[in-house]
Amino acid sequence: MATSTLNNVRFAGMATCVPKHVVHNVHDVPPHLRSERERLVRNIGIETRRVCPDWQCFSDLAYDAADKLLNDLQWSREEIGALIVVTQSPDYLVPATAIILQDRLGLAHSTIAFDVNLGCSAYPFALQILGSMIASGAIKKGLVLLGDRSSYKHKDPLKDPLFSDAGTATALEYQEGAPPMYFDLNSDGSGYKAIIVPVGGHRNPFQLEHGIARKGDDGFWRSDLDLILDGPAVISFSTQRVPPMVENLLGYSGIAKDDIDYFIFHQANRMINETIRKKLGLPEEKVPSTLREFGNTSGASLPVTVTARLRDALAAGKKRLLFCGFGVGLSWGGAIVDVENAVFPELIIS
Amino acid sequence: MDNIETFIEKFITAVDFQEAVEITPDTKLADLPEWDSLAALGVIVMFDMEYGKTITGEHLKQASTVQDLYQLLA
Repeated sequence: MATSTLNNVRFAGMATCVPKHVVHNVHDVPPHLRSERERLVRNIGIETRRVCPDWQCFSDLAYDAADKLLNDLQWSREEIGALIVVTQSPDYLVPATAIILQDRLGLAHSTIAFDVNLGCSAYPFALQILGSMIASGAIKKGLVLLGDRSSYKHKDPLKDPLFSDAGTATALEYQEGAPPMYFDLNSDGSGYKAIIVPVGGHRNPFQLEHGIARKGDDGFWRSDLDLILDGPAVISFSTQRVPPMVENLLGYSGIAKDDIDYFIFHQANRMINETIRKKLGLPEEKVPSTLREFGNTSGASLPVTVTARLRDALAAGKKRLLFCGFGVGLSWGGAIVDVENAVFPELIIS
Repeated sequence: MDNIETFIEKFITAVDFQEAVEITPDTKLADLPEWDSLAALGVIVMFDMEYGKTITGEHLKQASTVQDLYQLLA
């Protein structure tokens, strides 16, 4: 297991932005599909989702989150040494979205800007990447803009009941003596087909026939441009690999389970999240959930959950958080982060 | 290990049938209206949490009756 520690890195703040359009997984589908949808909602635990209109990209949500966070932190735009975008829904295949956002946010030309292609597992990885640049002394302050527009291929946002859209910003800064951050980050590419968009990259370039949709057993139309998700493979992976990783991270850090205030898991679906929680023997009140209201927002589901559920608790005093992401790749990781006097703007709806 | 009657009760809960169904060991999975991807996830979680047994989607594809599923516990 790839465990590591970062010193002198302070968690300074986090902002989350979701689109204003809400889709209801039961009420918004045609009447003949509703009873099947009720069973689905009962099991996956996702009632409503936030879906971008055609014009809105992940980067638009991330821009709003970053702009608000920088203003609330009262950080000058000149001070930002690095801007890392972590997404699987970039504006373009080329160039990197981070560089476009460097200009849009009014950051200096001296900003290091690049994209990282990670999804549901991304948050702990993102903290480690930016945190390492800060801990090394290369930069003093930086931003991670993380999230996805997972509903983007869905001309019909009803057919996929899981995915929801969000953009988030997290700020880290150099501070001598800041509490250590602990990480455990892992990858298993043998499972790359478990969650995949098979067409559109260089392995299978887009051809016109890929755009032709076929009607599935569930009555919805899909083409080769849609995401394929192997449910059994994903549930086995998540429930087998995640709990031992969390235990390993706790063991590595020397921190007892009871000394973690909140465990923030990627919001996959209720069956997966409940199985992981029960295997780790965690009480519900320490494991906040936003599945019902915000669905699966890919890697952004961790910041979404912090912003929507923990703002008051985090304003009340120092808290120790364990972040855990897992999914597409396959990729899974955890981070233990102490948060004190950080800035958490209210949820932004754009 | 549970007897097959108890196993069937757990199976019914895991699949989350919308309407009550009569299930025997010989019931063919393909004949069940709810034998879908969601049911597969429910059954995988049930095997894991109730019996500490890891099964895959491949195991489920190879099972044709409820009895076949029960045999996976062996």
